[in-house]
Amino acid sequence: MKDNGIVIIDDSPFSVAIIRNILEEEGFNVVGEANSLEEALEVITKTKPYLVTMDMTLPDTDGFECTRSIHKIDDSIRVIMISSMMDDEIVKESKRNKIIDFIQKPVDGDELIAAVEKILKADELYTFLDDKYNEIFIESLLDCIGVMTKTQVNHQEAYLQTKDFNSSGITVVIGIIGLFPGRMFIDLSKETAGKLVAAILSKEPKDYNEVLLGLGELANIISGNASSMLNRQNRALGLRIAPPLILHGDNIVISPPDFDTITTLIETDFGDITLNVGFKRGDETWM
Amino acid sequence: MDVNNINPFMESFNLVMPQLGFSNIKKGNLSVKDKEITNTGVIMLVGIVGDIKGNVAYSLDMDSAKKVASKMMMDMPVEEFGEMEKSALAELSNMLTASAVTIFSSSEVFIDISTPTLLQGDNVSLKIGSGKILCIQLFADDIPIDINISFD
Repeated sequence: MKDNGIVIIDDSPFSVAIIRNILEEEGFNVVGEANSLEEALEVITKTKPYLVTMDMTLPDTDGFECTRSIHKIDDSIRVIMISSMMDDEIVKESKRNKIIDFIQKPVDGDELIAAVEKILKADELYTFLDDKYNEIFIESLLDCIGVMTKTQVNHQEAYLQTKDFNSSGITVVIGIIGLFPGRMFIDLSKETAGKLVAAILSKEPKDYNEVLLGLGELANIISGNASSMLNRQNRALGLRIAPPLILHGDNIVISPPDFDTITTLIETDFGDITLNVGFKRGDETWM
Repeated sequence: MDVNNINPFMESFNLVMPQLGFSNIKKGNLSVKDKEITNTGVIMLVGIVGDIKGNVAYSLDMDSAKKVASKMMMDMPVEEFGEMEKSALAELSNMLTASAVTIFSSSEVFIDISTPTLLQGDNVSLKIGSGKILCIQLFADDIPIDINISFD
């Protein structure tokens, strides 16, 4: 159980008592409660909870606005909406406001506990993925190029990609799907690409098209192997990869997405290759 | 390529764009490209895995990208294609593809999508695997947006 606990926000003290009872009986740590937006912001700031249960109707606002205000304080706080009303529009609006799950009143204890446990488990799993993925993608890349070209490949220190990335000429993007979706790209110059593919083929590539297709396949193998390694460590990740997208052109700039990605420079005999990879911790419990 | 796999993307465009404040949705040319497509401007890439597997690339010229971003940000004037604008366009590609996924699922085709990758550049050639690329040109309030789809 996370130490920083749960806050219950509901305009009815009666509902607060019911929800508190359900959570505490299962050993969850309820650290605060609030009956209005003002109280909510105060108690969130003071207790820094891990999770919030949110009522839809609040005296001076609604559950969506209250959620937005809470996420302004800390956008990592997980919010479960608990409401007597539930229709497509409300569910859609909940997703839009980054509410992670939805439970209808009257609250079924088992359902609420299952929802909280699901969030805890998903977050544990994300932490696991976050700790491992970059190391495994680097290992996969070093291994693939090492085996395919029989050369020694090294990597530099990885860093968080917070700014636009300027392509060296060719980029291969691989979309990753799974419990947590993400993406990988490798980027290199035309010259490096030509030498690398020639080394893999053990002969000069026929034309530029063959170089591009070779890179696509290389990126496919690197991301496929890395995803399999991660899936083997935890099957629940369920990572799968989309076909490679191969881009080349002038002044290509790749923007950082709305989640963290990590960049690593790889040094090969053929020139430098940049690896960038990241996974989004999303509203996966809706899936 | 099965044309039935294209319709959900057009339906999704018809559904999502009005929600963002665009009133006039029009369909333009449909074309099939053999190997690669070339664009100057902004491209958003989304990967697809499941019952069908492939990629979708949304492309707009820079001027159109700014107009779309402006509309998505409640008609806020957009001078520069900055962080907010990029984030809006990435979110647009996510919304359009996610909505197409929902439409697919109503005909028992189940797919998942990757996170979007947004990039910009000049004369950007895009190769989506070895297969054919289907390009649909759509207009939202006369702003052209190309949807390029390729399935394995």
